[in-house]
Amino acid sequence: MTTRDDNVVIRSLTQIGACGLFLLTVLAAIPRSMRHGRETLRQIWFVGAMSLTIVMTCGLFVGMVLGLQLYDVLSIFGGTSATGTVVAIAIYRELGPVVTALLFAGRAGTSITAEIGLMRATDQLDAMEMMAVDPVAYVAAPRFLAGVIALPLLGVVFCAMGVFGGHLVGVTWLGIDNGTFWSNMTAAVDVHKDIINGVLLKSFAFGIVVSLIAVFQGYTTPPTSEGVAYATTRTVVASSIAILALDFVLTSFLI
Amino acid sequence: MTDDAIVRVRGLTTVLNGKTIFDSLDLDIPRGKVTAIMGPSGTGKTTLLKHITGQMRGDAGSIEVDGQNVPALSREKLFELRERIGYLFQNSALLTDFDVFENVAFPLRQHTKLPEELVRNIVLNKLQAVGLRGAAKLMPTELSGGMARRVALARAIVFDPALILYDEPFVGLDPIALNQVLLLIRTLNETLGITSVLVAHELAAVQKVADHVYLIANGKVVAQGAPDTLANDGSPWTAQFFGGQPDGPVPFQYPAGDYATALGFPGGKA
Repeated sequence: MTTRDDNVVIRSLTQIGACGLFLLTVLAAIPRSMRHGRETLRQIWFVGAMSLTIVMTCGLFVGMVLGLQLYDVLSIFGGTSATGTVVAIAIYRELGPVVTALLFAGRAGTSITAEIGLMRATDQLDAMEMMAVDPVAYVAAPRFLAGVIALPLLGVVFCAMGVFGGHLVGVTWLGIDNGTFWSNMTAAVDVHKDIINGVLLKSFAFGIVVSLIAVFQGYTTPPTSEGVAYATTRTVVASSIAILALDFVLTSFLI
Repeated sequence: MTDDAIVRVRGLTTVLNGKTIFDSLDLDIPRGKVTAIMGPSGTGKTTLLKHITGQMRGDAGSIEVDGQNVPALSREKLFELRERIGYLFQNSALLTDFDVFENVAFPLRQHTKLPEELVRNIVLNKLQAVGLRGAAKLMPTELSGGMARRVALARAIVFDPALILYDEPFVGLDPIALNQVLLLIRTLNETLGITSVLVAHELAAVQKVADHVYLIANGKVVAQGAPDTLANDGSPWTAQFFGGQPDGPVPFQYPAGDYATALGFPGGKA
């Protein structure tokens, strides 16, 4: 006998399977989508450049609050000179890629889902099909690519702003020596482990997951206003869970 | 059945969610004519258009368009066929990111590498044909329903298709816009020789524009003929549909179980 919980599990597994198949369709459409290079650039501008304000602001405040908390704790042990080091490592390895991806899902993922969902609801995707234009190549693939390209770049900006925020609080406000702040940080941070694996690789992986979920939810949404609303919500919920779960898996391999 | 048919439907059977939409449907669309497909709501008229364009596939039967069996076509071949078919959506389905000019130019830009000047001339020519050359710079949100439909029509004919399918082209139009669309359908048919298929409910409008009418109900063609004579052919289907009778072969009640049982009376049927 099938219970309600079984149905939820089966529905979720079905969605994950369908999402995987959709990823293959999008990947297969990427070579054809190169014809629409201008559309991909437009989407990079829309999901990347237009997300800069929120990413920079949040990066700054995350770095500032981290600097403040660490200074408070480290001062107990007389180790405030390590503030810059710990701020940088925490941001590069975890907070930078994860918080950027969460912000990206909320800012860009939802708008991608809503836009494609409304295109579905107003027959625009069917109209493209009827004009012999593949909507996966024209609509889905450029947005997917844009997310995959934009998220690592946004992650780098977030990290830079976070370190700047930590410096602002630690050095400018609380009086840690500027030379100590930077020299301890540069001595402890490893480019391969912290920047390439920490910021870039994780952001790239999150970019694939968030963009795929956003495009998939929009593309498969029921063509109703309620359907678009639910799909937008699902993008945030599914992306958030996927980001945090994938972060644990990646960290366990990279650490 | 017609010898020179551009669309030939044979034995089409489609079941959706347990409901039989088409039950071995046979139908021919004569080349170069305006054919109307009419029938009660929910009878599958738009679904039939989707079968003709390969957007949907039936469970059995064949659909030939210009000699090609649509369900058997690969996606590439289907797209090649669709370049010769125009489709007017009920809600126009204009691309909301683009203005009127770019909407009409969209298929040209996607499928050709024509110089910009030629694209401009073709688009302006099509917009002139639908009377909206002056609206080229307007966005879809700035258009009335009738104007949007005419823009969609200009986009549908931008490649001079052999076949154009109109899904409910008269819905929601005021008498002026309705007559403009009627005039366009007839003019395109006569001047460009385009075969037209239109799904519609409005008998008065259909009588003005169509050469042949199919009445579909219960998954089959229940009547067909010239629009002037069909309404008076004496069959109960045409009498109910064209007479607007609320009950008849198409029942007033949607199929349901026993009413007394549903109300909880013991013993079921009273």
